[in-house]
Amino acid sequence: MNLTPGTVIRTGLLLLLAMVLQVSTFSQLDVLGGNADITILAVAAIGLYSGSVPGAVAGFSAGLLLDLALGANLGATSLVLTVVGYFAGRFMELRDPAHGLIPLPVALVATTATVVGVAAVQFMLDIGATVSVLAVREMVATILLNTILALPVFALVRRVLRPVLLYDPLERRRRRAAPQASGPIGLRGLDVKRTHLP
Amino acid sequence: MYDKQVVRRRRAALAVLVALSIVLLTAYFGEGPSGLLHGLQRGAQEVFQPIETGVSRATKPFRDLVGWVGDNVNAKSDNDKLKKENAELREQVARTEAAENENRKLRGLVKLPENPAYPDGVKPLTARVIARSPTVWSEAVQIDAGSSDGVRVDQPVVTDGGLVGRVTSVTGGTATITLIVDASSAVSAQVLPDGKFGVVRPKVGNPNDMRLEYLDKNTKVEKGDLVITSGSTDEKLESLFPKGIPIGRVKRVDPDELDVYERIHIEPFADFKRMEFVQVLRANPQPDPQTEQAPNGSAGQGQEAP
Repeated sequence: MNLTPGTVIRTGLLLLLAMVLQVSTFSQLDVLGGNADITILAVAAIGLYSGSVPGAVAGFSAGLLLDLALGANLGATSLVLTVVGYFAGRFMELRDPAHGLIPLPVALVATTATVVGVAAVQFMLDIGATVSVLAVREMVATILLNTILALPVFALVRRVLRPVLLYDPLERRRRRAAPQASGPIGLRGLDVKRTHLP
Repeated sequence: MYDKQVVRRRRAALAVLVALSIVLLTAYFGEGPSGLLHGLQRGAQEVFQPIETGVSRATKPFRDLVGWVGDNVNAKSDNDKLKKENAELREQVARTEAAENENRKLRGLVKLPENPAYPDGVKPLTARVIARSPTVWSEAVQIDAGSSDGVRVDQPVVTDGGLVGRVTSVTGGTATITLIVDASSAVSAQVLPDGKFGVVRPKVGNPNDMRLEYLDKNTKVEKGDLVITSGSTDEKLESLFPKGIPIGRVKRVDPDELDVYERIHIEPFADFKRMEFVQVLRANPQPDPQTEQAPNGSAGQGQEAP
């Protein structure tokens, strides 16, 4: 991803939208004893499609926006999301995934890392209260819900970022798709329409 | 294969952002509520407020739909629970009526005035919840009423069910409420009918199970006992909450021989997961002249309670 004003505006608007939807809608929806967290998905998707450095910057910005909007400890969420965004980007750079369902494992791992990371940071800050086992249920619910929401959220992020991406892993996959296995054996592998065959 | 400079630059970017997060965290903890970062936070909340209010209102039908589905799934168990609770409440109403009657007669005898539910000068303000924290580690909500509506830091917040929390940060048009189920919360409380004092602390991750601590082991507490705010008026240690706001009911008493104090579990009255409106108990409803003069100090959407 090239750093242009367009890139910054697109990424910024995506993160702002994710943050606003999160605090005013998704955080207030209690499903399976927890709630989805689409800011994690947005950060992981930006990392996956744009690379490690944009992923880390997006994670830092998203965390900062969340902490600013809610009056939470400034820097705590940024710390965790920066690392999550960075490693989502590194995964893309090292493995170059092209499968259409890749958002599912990425969302699963990113959400798990975030909820565990946020819990670890809170413990380091000394929360000073007893913790219920149900906190784990809430964390598991968030992981499950995020995995369910991964495909549409990643698709939306990809759609918004596509014009500014240097290259799109899923686009490459489409180009590489096997041509129709039609016609005589000798012609298989070539993109030949059936109507042209004898 | 890898360009060393690219690798170095990438790692440097990560290190800088992580270091910046830690610096922010340290500075935020180090400064007071009037510090630069807290001020920045209040400014950001002011800016986000209209967007959050708009989105919150626009997505309400969607939230209601999800809530309706959830309600139907839980309806059977809720119905059984409510029937049982109804029977218990009927018994309590009968007992309370008798006690009230007796109380009135005794007050008449000693010529004491009737006590209002809240202290004099408290004026409730109804406000809409527009944002909520996404994690269990920081239980806070934001409302669409701020200093221009008379909301001040440390004012108590209630729902029709009971105590919700207290105001921890205020801007012209918004206020942040730290809920009593937040890890940092502690509320001085009193158990009725015995009237013994304790402190209500949350259990992170389970908003339906709070703990009443520092209650003497010899105190006789039973399941169903009412827990209210104690509202200490001591000059040195005055309570933030006025006396008599219901918090919840005793759910369970864990007998533990080793503990010095009783370990009491209470179920709060407020439904922290689904709050649409709350009431701020304003001690002084006069608007803040400074905020009113500010160019961006738009008035909150809160409405005076009847």
